[in-house]
Amino acid sequence: MSLGVARLTSVNLRKDLRLEWRSRDVFNSMLFFALLVVVVFSYVFDASAEEARRMMGGLIWIAFLFSTIMALNQSWARELRNGVLDAYRVSPAPPEALFLGKCLGNFLFVLLLECLMAPLFVIFYNLRALGNVWLLLPIFLLGTWALVVNGTFFAVMSIRTRSRELMLPLLLLPISIPAVLMMVTATSAVLTGEGSPVPQIKFLAGYCVIFTTVSFLLFDTVLNAE
Amino acid sequence: MKNRLFFLLLAVTAGLLAWGTYQALYVAPAEATMGDAQRIFYYHVPAATAASLLFWVNFVASIWYLWKRSPVADAIAVAGAEVGVVFFSVVLISGPIWARYAWGTFWVWDARLTTSLILWLLYVSYLILRKSSELGSTSVLAASLAVFAAMDMPIVYMSNRWFRTNHPQPMIGTPNLNHDMQTVLLWNMLAFCMFAILIAWFRFELERTSQTINQLHIRKAAQGVSMAMLVPIPALLSAKPAMLLLAKKAAFFGMSAMFFAHKKLTMFLLQTSGADDLAHEKLVQHHYMVAGYVAVWTIYIGYLLLLMNKLRKLHQEEREMRAS
Amino acid sequence: MRQLSLELEAGRFYVLRGENGAGKSTLLRMIAGLSEPTEGRILVYGLKNKEAFPHMGYMAHAPLLYDELSGMENLRFFAELYGITADEPLMYAMQRVGLDPNLKRRIGQYSQGMRQRLSLARAIFHSPRLLLLDEPFSNVDPDSALQIARLLAAMRDEGNTIILVTHQVGLLSSLADEYVLMSRGQLADRGSLKVHA
Repeated sequence: MSLGVARLTSVNLRKDLRLEWRSRDVFNSMLFFALLVVVVFSYVFDASAEEARRMMGGLIWIAFLFSTIMALNQSWARELRNGVLDAYRVSPAPPEALFLGKCLGNFLFVLLLECLMAPLFVIFYNLRALGNVWLLLPIFLLGTWALVVNGTFFAVMSIRTRSRELMLPLLLLPISIPAVLMMVTATSAVLTGEGSPVPQIKFLAGYCVIFTTVSFLLFDTVLNAE
Repeated sequence: MKNRLFFLLLAVTAGLLAWGTYQALYVAPAEATMGDAQRIFYYHVPAATAASLLFWVNFVASIWYLWKRSPVADAIAVAGAEVGVVFFSVVLISGPIWARYAWGTFWVWDARLTTSLILWLLYVSYLILRKSSELGSTSVLAASLAVFAAMDMPIVYMSNRWFRTNHPQPMIGTPNLNHDMQTVLLWNMLAFCMFAILIAWFRFELERTSQTINQLHIRKAAQGVSMAMLVPIPALLSAKPAMLLLAKKAAFFGMSAMFFAHKKLTMFLLQTSGADDLAHEKLVQHHYMVAGYVAVWTIYIGYLLLLMNKLRKLHQEEREMRAS
Repeated sequence: MRQLSLELEAGRFYVLRGENGAGKSTLLRMIAGLSEPTEGRILVYGLKNKEAFPHMGYMAHAPLLYDELSGMENLRFFAELYGITADEPLMYAMQRVGLDPNLKRRIGQYSQGMRQRLSLARAIFHSPRLLLLDEPFSNVDPDSALQIARLLAAMRDEGNTIILVTHQVGLLSSLADEYVLMSRGQLADRGSLKVHA
């Protein structure tokens, strides 16, 4: 059974990647949007390199959060258009595979956005991390996963609500507050070189484990809430 | 039977609230540094306790709903969340009023306050989800969200405890309470928790009635024939006076508390005709205390009025159904 | 939906009729496992409907397909969901509905008739014993509609069961076996269609 889930997750993921590749219009607009966000933020929060290092953590993650929400809003759009979600639900395939596939797809997509935005921030703010730069890797990976897994779950929930696009951030933001706090303090710690980000990283890992499990278990219920 | 129990509890709670307020205003000794402004403490803390209790109720009811899909569980969950939000609003309003006087600042990002704020946000989003979701999926979605919220809460608390170290951690919570203060606090705790439970119970009945009426709508649309409308609308609600009493009681307490407070103020002013620093300080403290009471009882009364409105609408719907 | 108790025989072609809001689509979705009834059970060939997914095919007014993929790519994806990895059943299904399996065009560029035919292919490639169709002929050109209807009748002849919700009973009066009439959320009437043929 678990092998079936793994295989189907990969099937879903490949299908999403292929669809994304085919309809590159969304992709392109998101990239451009990410660029705009960085520019606007950098312009508005104009700061010297010294000050920047202190607030960069918060700034970067707000920008990421914003872009993630925009990206997640249309994560299920393709399944809803033409009612494909129904066809999936009627098949013997386990819904968890659908969820994981979606999460992974969104995860890769958001990571890509971040890879675009982060260097831009570095350029605009003349950033240089005073701490261990490599620690940024687990921070970004775990933080992004935390946002994406909850975001994908709440995106499915908002399918059955009015004002779908509004519901997603409304549900996602309060739940993500502790995770965002972790990401921000950890990133600041790395950039300013003050304090170790390791406890935050462990905390983020725990957060990811807990919420991935909860989303995984409740996905079937929420998908079939009709 | 249930009706009688409710009215009995109503009377008891009214008595307790009166007693508690009296104690808080007159019997409890004035605190050393903060004077009368500290009296906000006596309804701030009980409100927080009551709200936390109600959110636990919501969590348990949500899990029960996800397991058994019982409409009773759903009604309990809604009642818990809604009344919980009301009481937490009280906490979030009285807290800053108190804090402004005690520390000169409205807000501090310490563990407890932050947790309260986020909890409030989570449950407001819960209520919004309930309002905007499609019929049929509301209960399931809301229950899932409640589970998420409950999972999140300890994490929020811990994350603030451990990681917001660059902010001052003022000492809220239990300052060294002497025995008298503790007694007063406990009385108020009891009074407000009962108050909360009573309101939640009422909200629960409202929800059940609403559920029943919805069922009837559906059945009526399907059958198209006039049914013997022997709907067991809970006896509690057919007594409209129940609601009125509740509102009146709340109004009475709000006003009496303000009256007592103001009376104290004027008495005090009369006693100290000289405008020295201490007198001025006490005046300010009184203002804060009164402000706290006004704000808080406005919230309570506002919510009760909302519930009354809902009840009126339900009665109206019921009448329409019987007529057609 | 009100209380409803319905027993259908295997191997017959049923048409589910009724005015708007009678509950036909709701009933079909319940049978398909997409909607939960507040009370009661649904059994398909003796299994709970959610366990019978491999034996059910579902088709709706919407195409239930990805616009950006070609015909075969769509089918291959859905085939994986059913554990089918070979191409043959997919190509066979496409041929049966009258589409060219080698067509590389994205289905977003298909006509509605072609899309619905592909949707049918998606519903039948795993040889389901029960086919559920919800207004499959909306906005479909008459030729495609007739082709679909004839194929359905052929599948009935092969021993499968078909339940179809539609307003266009005329098209099916000579092909289907029985009609089930719903009104205001409950069963109003049922009877044989062959009498009118």
